[in-house]
Amino acid sequence: MVSIEIDAFTRVEGNGGAEVIIENGEVKDVKVKIFEGPRFFELLTLGRYYWDVPDLEARICAICYLSHSVASVLGIERAFGVKVSKEIELLRELGLLGELLESNALHLYLLVAPDLFGYPDAIRMASKHGEIVKEGLAIKAFGNYIREIIGGREIHGINIKPGGFGRYPTVEELERMERQSEALLRLARRGVGIFAGQETLGAKPVHYVVVNGYLYGDKLIASDKDTFDYFERIEEEALSYSFAKQSRYKGEIFMVGALPRVLLKSEMLTPTAKHLYEEYKEKLAQGYVSLNNLAQAIELVYALERTKEITRELLDKGINGENVPIEPQEGEGIGYVEAPRGVLIHHYKINEDGNIAYSNIITPTAFNHAIMELSLYEEAKRRYGTSDESAFLQKLEETVRAFDPCISCSVHVVRL
Amino acid sequence: MMLKLGVFELTDCGGCALNLLFLYERLFDLLEFYEIKEFHMASSFKEHDTLDVALVTGTVSTQRDLNLLHYARNHSKYLIALGTCATHGDVQASVEGKIREKLEKVYGTKANPMRALDSTPIVQHVAVDYALPGCPYDKDEIYQILMNLAKGVEPPTKDYPVCIECKLNEYECVLIKRGIPCLGPITLGGCNAVCIKSKVGCIGCRGPLPKEANPASEFEILKELGYDEEYIRRKFKTFARGELRW
Ligand code: SF4
Ligand code: SF4
Repeated sequence: MVSIEIDAFTRVEGNGGAEVIIENGEVKDVKVKIFEGPRFFELLTLGRYYWDVPDLEARICAICYLSHSVASVLGIERAFGVKVSKEIELLRELGLLGELLESNALHLYLLVAPDLFGYPDAIRMASKHGEIVKEGLAIKAFGNYIREIIGGREIHGINIKPGGFGRYPTVEELERMERQSEALLRLARRGVGIFAGQETLGAKPVHYVVVNGYLYGDKLIASDKDTFDYFERIEEEALSYSFAKQSRYKGEIFMVGALPRVLLKSEMLTPTAKHLYEEYKEKLAQGYVSLNNLAQAIELVYALERTKEITRELLDKGINGENVPIEPQEGEGIGYVEAPRGVLIHHYKINEDGNIAYSNIITPTAFNHAIMELSLYEEAKRRYGTSDESAFLQKLEETVRAFDPCISCSVHVVRL
Repeated sequence: MMLKLGVFELTDCGGCALNLLFLYERLFDLLEFYEIKEFHMASSFKEHDTLDVALVTGTVSTQRDLNLLHYARNHSKYLIALGTCATHGDVQASVEGKIREKLEKVYGTKANPMRALDSTPIVQHVAVDYALPGCPYDKDEIYQILMNLAKGVEPPTKDYPVCIECKLNEYECVLIKRGIPCLGPITLGGCNAVCIKSKVGCIGCRGPLPKEANPASEFEILKELGYDEEYIRRKFKTFARGELRW
């Protein structure tokens, strides 16, 4: 038995690698190893006052901090039975759209595009294909602008609060968002063409799981049409070779993320995004996990169009800027968000003083851990022996990268 | 001559490495002076070489982190501890309890095959040439530091609290006027008081103000506002473990 090691995935967030085990000249197994150290977020929040918790949870991940803040706030509000206004709901959605733009653009243009064009990174790719890199950066910067206004900062803002916001956006800021989303749409449409050309890699998941709203909601839905709470159908298992656990839906491997979202929620897409979805429908339906990248590109179009719709609606109605007052009381609540990489869950029990008594956080990369491993296995089987080792490893890295794994996020899975 | 730069990420949220990419065009300005030899979040390119500048983010939370940190130190002339994880330990270092107990709570076993450690800031393990806190740090600051180093100038350090920037921006004091627990008076400035702009209190993400801070008086103010001691203690501890004494 021999094994081939990928000691560190590059162009992914966080630290992880893989081991490909070869027996009698055949790929026997692949292990995805997450060796980013544990950060114990659930323990961190235990006993802390609910008001401070979303700001701490934001620190789980920088690329999708705002999804964590929103999921945390939703879990807390549901525990207290708080209902917020339409305006607050729209502003949260706007923040999540900004995050989708920032994260999907970062992934596609800076991390995946170099594979498509044969470079080790976007910086070196920029010398020949500067336009594409610049277009991606423009979309990403716009996403960050939204995160800054709604979330309070580009990274780890503390403006998203239970019951509302610290500060509400001004008319000028909303107008700027509306203008820019319109202007960037052309670039995003071009991006769909670029990423549609990627070769298909990895496995085909048996199931997809998504949140019931496009970006957030109150239940999960699966490709077999089931609607449920996560603990009713999803099981987690700890592994000896990884700090991240693996999950199963009804005992089977599933996937979360952009591909599941566009496949299961195509009805909710905005007009141009839907049109593009229809155009690539058959391709997407092939189900290979690398099609996640094409789905992400379609989502950039969705996010820009939806940003325009929301800012217009808010500008027409005018910003009220009123928070919902909160009285802490004993309760339990779950926040479900579609982080850019897929389903994100924050589940809390809170005592009557408003302190956290139980917390469970499950992140998209933890959900995708099993399908990531299976994809590497299938890709390795398909390719082993057909090319030299460095080309072989390069394809395996590309397969992992297609998931847009967020390793920092994945290591906080806990059941207390 | 181009300077050789390496970015090393230990256990963290990825924010301090990502923040470099958020420099946008200014990153390309930096690349006029620097050649990136290692930056695993952004590049598959990697060259084992002696570096002029190593940026290290995150806390030491595994044996692997520790090895990587020593590698970075031994291969660089100038090492910058980047972000509050690296300088003070940040949120993960404030989680109480011993590693084995924590692993048991989370993974259901005391076994530690991947050699996790209690999280500690890198400054506790190696000598650093410059420490830039912030969760994340301010982008302008790292830009200035790297530009200074490229020109052979020792970068200046900041030594004033967040309150100064709050006053300069003429924000209303949330601590005195609204009774919100704000750590601005005892936290190192440099963020342009961005949280107070959002009318929420500073949670201390840039770590304690060196030397002059008076945490004892902040403690008293918060107690008078009605916050209980345990609450204040944990708030003080969040980003800087036990560094704030009161
Ligand atoms: S200091 Fe904050 S932003 Fe930087 S890596 Fe640590 S948690 Fe992330
Ligand atoms: S105001 Fe405080 S919490 Fe906010 S960024 Fe500045 S130092 Fe960090």
